[in-house]
Amino acid sequence: MNAYAHAEPNIEVHKFYGGTISVATFLALVLQAFLNKYGAWVGFLELPLLITIYFALSRRNPATGLLLGGTIGVLQDAVSHTPIGTYGIAKTVIGYMASSIGSRIDTEHPLARAALIFLFFHVHQAVLTVIERALLNRPVAFFSSKLLIAALINTAAGLLLFPLLDRLRKPS
Amino acid sequence: MSMIELPSRQRPLTLLAIVIGLQVLLLAFQIKRDHDVRLVRVWAVDILTPLQRSGTWMISSVHGVWGHYIDLRRTSVENDRLHSELGRLQLRNRELESRAVEADRLATLLGFHTANPNVQMVAAQVIGANADASSRTIFINRGDQDHLRKNMAVITPEGIVGKVVEVYQDTSQVLLITDRESGVGALFSGSRTHGVIKGMSEPYLLMDYVINEEKVTPGQEILTSGEDQIFPKDLLIGTVVKSKNGNPFATIDVRPAARLDRLEEVLVLLSRHEAPNQRKAEPEVAPVPTSGAATPSVATPEKPAPTTTPPPVTKSVAKPPATTPEHP
Repeated sequence: MNAYAHAEPNIEVHKFYGGTISVATFLALVLQAFLNKYGAWVGFLELPLLITIYFALSRRNPATGLLLGGTIGVLQDAVSHTPIGTYGIAKTVIGYMASSIGSRIDTEHPLARAALIFLFFHVHQAVLTVIERALLNRPVAFFSSKLLIAALINTAAGLLLFPLLDRLRKPS
Repeated sequence: MSMIELPSRQRPLTLLAIVIGLQVLLLAFQIKRDHDVRLVRVWAVDILTPLQRSGTWMISSVHGVWGHYIDLRRTSVENDRLHSELGRLQLRNRELESRAVEADRLATLLGFHTANPNVQMVAAQVIGANADASSRTIFINRGDQDHLRKNMAVITPEGIVGKVVEVYQDTSQVLLITDRESGVGALFSGSRTHGVIKGMSEPYLLMDYVINEEKVTPGQEILTSGEDQIFPKDLLIGTVVKSKNGNPFATIDVRPAARLDRLEEVLVLLSRHEAPNQRKAEPEVAPVPTSGAATPSVATPEKPAPTTTPPPVTKSVAKPPATTPEHP
């Protein structure tokens, strides 16, 4: 089966140099752990999520997107204290959604990217909250002001990060 | 190539479900709930328990239908066995009830004997009745070897029964007070007016030789007078049922106090020196008159003078050797 079968014909599928996704993922996880030592505001950043969103939107293939999201999430779980699968499920969902949306609309425009990052951040947190409440039996709130701030910070970070990652694309 | 071909649009969705499902399972293996039980185990129990319950219910239902409506061979055999068991238990129950009644009767006799420790008596069981419809006699399982003698009084705690008329080795024949040949010296408990109780070979007794002027009321008690030298004085004979004037004496029907139609155990008085405490002795109201015909014998006396009594008995009746009271 062609992995790009259901990408819209007028939507461009981006390819990256070999190892780009792996290196980017690795750096995101390391930076996430490293930056957490430098101030509480850094804790709002979700670099693995931004990486997931970016590559899922770029590859525009739901199967690839969900596997990529699942892999990044499980790795994030592995380096944190959460049960393996918590971030894995959340990022699997995000990878699937992002790649599905990316195959239908143009996500190159900064405004579209900002809206998608903001949306996916909340979806990601909602899935995490559902997992925490249903499986871990923890009474976590679905929404808070901190969550809104974190969404804004990650949107801003995404707007800065995505053009940098665009440079790693293979020229079409 | 997978065995099941999915439409291409559904493949990512299926993959998503598989990946999420695997990760949920992974989580379930790690997460522990109350009592340190892994979440996957809780889920497994939650899923399997209703299935097991349903399976158990279905199997028990099928088993119940089979056992209660189809496979009735054993039920029939068991039914027969239970019927047999029921019959056996009913018989046993009747036997036990009979024994309980017998125990009550024996307890009454024992209580009677305990209340009269000075009176020598022996308990006897009624083993037969008379073969002649016109006579009223019974056989008891005590005889010569138990020191029974002719003319000994036979009583129950309720009232007098009769006297011994024949003594054999280990049985005796007792003439009931209802027999036509029987007669007992008697008196009214209140007025102490004397008379003679006669048997009529009927359920009721007749008190004879009481003048018409004597005030007799139903329910009045009739006691032994002791003049017949058979029964000690003041034993209860029965109660007046009805009375009417006659010629020359009143006709007084008396219901025997002892249940003569259903005797099973009786007491034979071996001595007449002391009357048993069958009832509280009435205070003596007058000395016993000495004139008139006596009724020394149990045979129906020749008509004695009304309201007269035989001379006082001498109580010199042959006294049988004292024996320890026994029960049948």
